[in-house]
Amino acid sequence: MTLKRFSQQEVVFAIFVVLFAAFALFLPGFATTQNMLTLLQNVAVLGILGLAMALVVIGRGIDISLIAALAVPPGLVLQMVQDGYSLPLSIAVALALALAFGLVNGWLIAYAEVPSLFATLATGLLLAGLGQASLFKLDVVQWSDGMKGFEHLGQGSVLGIPTPIIAFAAVCIVVALLLRNTRIGAYVYAIGDNPYGARVTGIPSRPIIVLQYVLAALIGCFAGFVLAASVNSMPTRIFNSTLIYDVILVVVLGGIGLSGGRGGVLNVIIGTLLIGTMLNGMTIMDISYSGQNLIKGMVLLAAVIADSFLNPRNEETAQQGDI
Amino acid sequence: MTDNVIEFRKATKLYAGVPAINEVDFQLRRGEIHALVGENGAGKSTLSKALAGVVTLTSGQLLINGAEVAPKTPLEARHLGVAMVFQENSLVPTMTVAQNLFLGQERFYNRLRGIYIAAQQFLQSLNFDVPPTATVSLLGAAKKQMVEIARAVLHQAQVIIFDEPTASLTPEEKAYFFDLVRDLKKRGVSIIFISHALEEALLLADRITVLRDGKHVVTDDVANFDRARIVQAMVGRDLSNTLYGKRKTEVRRAGERILSVQNLKMAPMVKNNSLSVFAGQITGVFGLVGAGRTETFKIVAGVLKRDFFHGGEILLNGKPVRYRVPAPAVQAGVAYVTEDRKVEGFFETMSIARNIYLGLLSKFPGGRFLLSSNEAQKTGDDWISRLKVRAISPKAKVVELSGGNQQKVVIAKSLTQEPDLIIFDEPTRGVDVGAIVEIHELINRLADEGKAVVVISSYLPEILALSDRILVSRQGKVVEEFSALDATEEKIMYAAIH
Repeated sequence: MTLKRFSQQEVVFAIFVVLFAAFALFLPGFATTQNMLTLLQNVAVLGILGLAMALVVIGRGIDISLIAALAVPPGLVLQMVQDGYSLPLSIAVALALALAFGLVNGWLIAYAEVPSLFATLATGLLLAGLGQASLFKLDVVQWSDGMKGFEHLGQGSVLGIPTPIIAFAAVCIVVALLLRNTRIGAYVYAIGDNPYGARVTGIPSRPIIVLQYVLAALIGCFAGFVLAASVNSMPTRIFNSTLIYDVILVVVLGGIGLSGGRGGVLNVIIGTLLIGTMLNGMTIMDISYSGQNLIKGMVLLAAVIADSFLNPRNEETAQQGDI
Repeated sequence: MTDNVIEFRKATKLYAGVPAINEVDFQLRRGEIHALVGENGAGKSTLSKALAGVVTLTSGQLLINGAEVAPKTPLEARHLGVAMVFQENSLVPTMTVAQNLFLGQERFYNRLRGIYIAAQQFLQSLNFDVPPTATVSLLGAAKKQMVEIARAVLHQAQVIIFDEPTASLTPEEKAYFFDLVRDLKKRGVSIIFISHALEEALLLADRITVLRDGKHVVTDDVANFDRARIVQAMVGRDLSNTLYGKRKTEVRRAGERILSVQNLKMAPMVKNNSLSVFAGQITGVFGLVGAGRTETFKIVAGVLKRDFFHGGEILLNGKPVRYRVPAPAVQAGVAYVTEDRKVEGFFETMSIARNIYLGLLSKFPGGRFLLSSNEAQKTGDDWISRLKVRAISPKAKVVELSGGNQQKVVIAKSLTQEPDLIIFDEPTRGVDVGAIVEIHELINRLADEGKAVVVISSYLPEILALSDRILVSRQGKVVEEFSALDATEEKIMYAAIH
């Protein structure tokens, strides 16, 4: 009678364990230390982006412009260094750009009350277009000698752990502390749970919403630094890729409801692990890019359907108008 | 046996193992109006939802016209001749009346002119004065209800369930609605009428069934009931004297003038409204739906904005204020306890303690950058015991509580902010009888402590039982003021209507 209700994160974690075990058993070359490190390294950027997205989604928003924040400010660093500016100055300018970008997003959503989907869709296009049209000379912004030392962020290691993994872990801890243990975090959950209620309670909703998008842009920019340092360049065409869907996949798959107020850093980690294992396994099996998309799509559908079977929505939640 | 259109036999519905209704027997006779009354959570809605196919019974039988059935969707129930008019309007607001009537029955080629003509004829046959080409969102509450009823009749329902049909209606609209229901009865339709308003049940019904805690208590002809007996059956104890019956014999004296509103305007709801609120007493604000009471006080609390030009003045403690959002109003000591706690009140995914703690955080953020689970726990426990919130633990989620306990949590959230001016908007709407008494005691205590308290209510006995001073609002402004000592229901209603 009293069947235990599994939450989506438990279901996804179970799928991850099964998948991981299956790959380890049947896929030669999967369960090696080297491959594990590669796996984690490859998903670190995705995971950091997932954290930025989670911060916004928990507050009942969405940030489609994350990839622009990932590509353009770090690309600017490479370009400026190439043009002869010093590295610290370039980084400062890039961070200022990301900050300004987050402020614009936040202002549009909180004060001009543009729905987050449209606001960030537009600003993302704008920033990416700006970068490609006037900031960068080539689609792939190249590494230059002035960047020396910066590659440690993507290629170095501390005690044998690659730095991207450390970067991911660090952002995890910062975001987790922010969400769980600070007043800001409590406000974010409150706004995501019930925006009208949060307002009436006297929570400064609008500054908090702006802060969410500023943090998302800054974290996105940080992910871009890690990416650029790993591949020694910034391929700005990444904006045209399906990366943003992978980010949303991580967040939704991990169990952070798009209707806000639910989930946390743990969900992002679980979502990232599953996606990372899948991508890694499929790469070892040499499945084509379109085949990978097909499988990702099916996994997302399966997770969503499983969730709606295990946790049927009652009239109470149905009235909340999930996105 | 065939006398009964509907019969429930030992109907039980469990939600996560907890019975919402427990072995309920219920019969609805053909062509009768049967009122279903009980406290919140007594199982009225669950019983009718089982009938309307919204939920399915865990065990027990449902017989329609003597045949056992188990409708799984509202559509199946509709085919069995059962229609439900929901508390929340189930019409599509952007469509016209005619489109709503024929929703789900359109032909493949949906000729609008055709359905307008058909709808016109149909509405005329029912004597309903609703234009079929009007967009539903522009209609008043009563007209929307007419469309819902018309739709039920159009679907040839033998049984129509009304869930709190009169909650949003003005008295004239109510009278009209009652005529409609009686007319339906003449057509041989059987009606289940769920209501909190006992007077209405007594006025309208042929028989009354009282439910309590998911169990059937009593069913009898209306002639054998009076108010006291229903209340007695509902709560199992005699509350009728302590609740609304008692009249004030003395009133609190007005303290300082805390709030003064002058010529406040917000088109189209508030028109040149002027009023004052004093410390140390309860100011009751009565008015019919659309009188602009809620809007006026929402402007005071910063939830709504007044007109930009010629918007009038609000003086708080003598100083002019203009809040664009609620946060600065909260800082200034104004608390607004909403009439719609689900939309504007509590945070449903969070625990009771967290809900209350958020109120504290947003008023006194200083030095609370890091959350303290200790403080949250203590604040939660403290208010739970002060307001007698009944829950398994402070960690229980608010959404799992009954209406009365939810309301207490919302009130506690505001009281942690130590407000000087507290605005209660319909403080006991959807609250069970026991909690009403406790919330009324609390409101009285706040006034005794010297706070300025405003109670907005559409329920006259509540206004009379609580207020020291009564403001009557009509068409966007306060038109009369009474002392509680010389106010009567007749006087207040007269001021509110004319």
